[in-house]
Amino acid sequence: MNIKGSPWKAGSLLLLLVSNLLLCQNVAPLPVCPGGAARCQVTLRDLFDRAVVLSHYIHNLSSEMFSEFDKRYTHGRGFITRTINSCHTSSLPTPEDKEQAQQINQKDFLSLIVSILRSWNEPLYHLVTEVRGMQETPEAILSKAVEIEEQTKRLLEGMELIVSQVHPETKENEIYPVWSGLPSLQMADEESRLSAYYNLLHCLRRDSHKIDNYLKLLKCRIIHNNNC
Amino acid sequence: MDLWQLLLTLALAGSSDAFSGSEDSSKEPKFTKCRSPERETFSCHWTDAVHHGSKSLGPIQLFYTRRNIQEWTQEWKECPDYVSAGENSCYFNSSFTSIWIPYCIKLTSNGGTVDEKCFSVDEIVQPDPPIALNWTLLNVSLTGIHADIQVRWEAPPNADIQKGWMVLEYELQYKEVNETKWKMMDPVLSTSVPVYSLKVDKEYEVRVRSKQRNSGNYGEFSEVLYVTLPQMNQFTCEEDFYFPWLLIIIFGIFGLTVMLFVFLFSKQQRIKMLILPPVPVPKIKGIDPDLLKEGKLEEVNTILAIHDSYKPEFHSDDSWVEFIELDIDEPDEKNEGSDTDRLLSSDHQKSHSNLGVKDGDSGRTSCYEPDILETDFNANDIHEGTSEVAQPQRLKGETDLLCLDQKNQNKSPYHDACPATQQPSVIQAEKNKPQPLPTDGAESTHQAAHIQLSNPSSLANIDFYAQVSDITPAGSVVLSPGQKNKAGMSQCDMHLEMVSLCQENFIMDNAYFCEADAKKCIPVAPHIKVESHTEPSFNQEDIYITTESLTTTAGRPGTTEHIPGSEMPVPDYTSIHIVQSPQGLILNATALPLPDKEFLSSCGYVSTDQLNKIMP
Repeated sequence: MNIKGSPWKAGSLLLLLVSNLLLCQNVAPLPVCPGGAARCQVTLRDLFDRAVVLSHYIHNLSSEMFSEFDKRYTHGRGFITRTINSCHTSSLPTPEDKEQAQQINQKDFLSLIVSILRSWNEPLYHLVTEVRGMQETPEAILSKAVEIEEQTKRLLEGMELIVSQVHPETKENEIYPVWSGLPSLQMADEESRLSAYYNLLHCLRRDSHKIDNYLKLLKCRIIHNNNC
Repeated sequence: MDLWQLLLTLALAGSSDAFSGSEDSSKEPKFTKCRSPERETFSCHWTDAVHHGSKSLGPIQLFYTRRNIQEWTQEWKECPDYVSAGENSCYFNSSFTSIWIPYCIKLTSNGGTVDEKCFSVDEIVQPDPPIALNWTLLNVSLTGIHADIQVRWEAPPNADIQKGWMVLEYELQYKEVNETKWKMMDPVLSTSVPVYSLKVDKEYEVRVRSKQRNSGNYGEFSEVLYVTLPQMNQFTCEEDFYFPWLLIIIFGIFGLTVMLFVFLFSKQQRIKMLILPPVPVPKIKGIDPDLLKEGKLEEVNTILAIHDSYKPEFHSDDSWVEFIELDIDEPDEKNEGSDTDRLLSSDHQKSHSNLGVKDGDSGRTSCYEPDILETDFNANDIHEGTSEVAQPQRLKGETDLLCLDQKNQNKSPYHDACPATQQPSVIQAEKNKPQPLPTDGAESTHQAAHIQLSNPSSLANIDFYAQVSDITPAGSVVLSPGQKNKAGMSQCDMHLEMVSLCQENFIMDNAYFCEADAKKCIPVAPHIKVESHTEPSFNQEDIYITTESLTTTAGRPGTTEHIPGSEMPVPDYTSIHIVQSPQGLILNATALPLPDKEFLSSCGYVSTDQLNKIMP
């Protein structure tokens, strides 16, 4: 096993494999390790390392994007108290503290992460579209949104690989919370629209933080056996 | 009374204001800080209220609420624990702590909200300081001055690193013990970090603080770790060698300045030379060619004057010009080629007058043989009375600046007379003045003077140069009477006189003496002669040697002609036969039985060596 395995190498190979998966849909998905974990070039450790790096990166981008949005549009206006609508992923039974995180089992944990990631595909896509279509496109926010969307897709693919490695028998569960906040993003009322954006970005920041935290917990649990 | 009422009202108002102000100024309890050390619990603190007024505030209460999953409930709950975190605090244990759920707390007093705050737990995470700091020595530099250490610590115990619940980054700071400013290192994720380049003889302080990686703030600093590096070497040399840049710069500038000055000064000479090209060195030492150029004959006279008898009554340039004019007026002299010829042809005296004319630089070289030749002819003419013949020959001689055939000169019957009319080879450095040969005239005049002793004119014993004292209306030149004396002296006399001459000549510090005299003087007083020969001859001022004396002496060893009253010094001027720069002169060597014809053939001043050769 390549202990030192560079994340870039893992990521590139991951991307290559995923692209193969996507492009060649007729062909049965090529398992990462057809011959077993021992023969894998991309180890689970590398996958987890890469996943943690991605999740950390996504969370940083989300935090920055939220901060910029708040500073520019909604600062000091008490929007946080106005967030009536909660996040669309709140229905997922995500652990809220450490005890709950420790109690959840590994498989569910991974499925949960994947579900969150999947549920954000569409919101991110619409976010980018709407921000791009704004009158004065905030370039910083737009660039970050684009980057988050791309990295989230990669992270999802990596997570699916991890799941296939750790729990190969898991069937692909396509159930995930659906986001229906698009109309609110397109509202004519600026106040409502800003509130919708604020809520969306706030939720994105939170969920990215959750994913990052969960992955780190899982990494320590799976790879390092609770001894990071 | 009104005034009193007014004052009372004001006092009351002021007091009421004071009272109200005091009440208003009472500090309301405010949240000072909410903190979660490990992301599992958190606590909030507030300031204590200060009550000054009579109105007493009720107990302060904290209510919190958190947004539920789906909706934002406004149900406020009271603080579960007012004690655990200390006074004026509220402690939320892990059961009340949710990470990704926003909280809102408010402080109430008597039912009135005094402060409110909303946050999420990740925002208030401030880890505890790291513990168990220690250091180990990595290596010591070769000089033993610096060392590297590795500092290790442990994460705060309440932060769950093993499970990955918290990911911390650490910041290390260190400084010398007596310093005030801490040096900070970049945040690291690991619990050990190397610190490089610590001085061995100094004591350092190290401290570490931690922060959650994506959110929150830095926690408090750990305890200070003191690092004392052991001295490995007994002798620690001072490694802090400060290159003496200042000294180098100063010396460099100094050296450059010196070089610049040297260069400038050296260049100055060259620049000077470029601007003012040096005037050619005069052939005759001691004579400033510029003087002769400018025609300041008086000055030159003073320089050349070595005899007391020499009377610089020479006319100024005007007289010379006047003299020229006279020539022009004479139609008889138009056929003359030169002024000198005119002078000589018309009147001997005229030619005599030439004697006084200084020939600064008549264009002749140092060789005065042409003059000698002409003089010979002139003498012959004089004798024969055909001076006309002499003219062209004189001309010829004039034109021939180079040395003429010495043989002719030797053969010339100059023995009879001191051919004082030596060519004015006493040439200054100026060759570019082809002045007519007044010397020729002088010569002839001199000869004439010599021959015609009775001539009241100054022809008697004509020196080569004679001063023109006056010009007669007829056009003849009246030489200065001093010439007579000189003329008398010009003849080289007998032995005794020669001796005296020699003596006198040598005694006197003038520059002129006869070579023949010198020669004659040699046997008499060889030492003196030799010495004096050398000295007067070859002093820089001793340029002129009387030709007369030379020729007279050489030619007529047995001449009975005596120079009357040979107390007079040798004439000042003598044509110089050879000029051999820069050592000396050789007089008209026609009379001299020069053993070495080299002297004759060559033009120039005779050198000391040559003269020594001549005279044993």
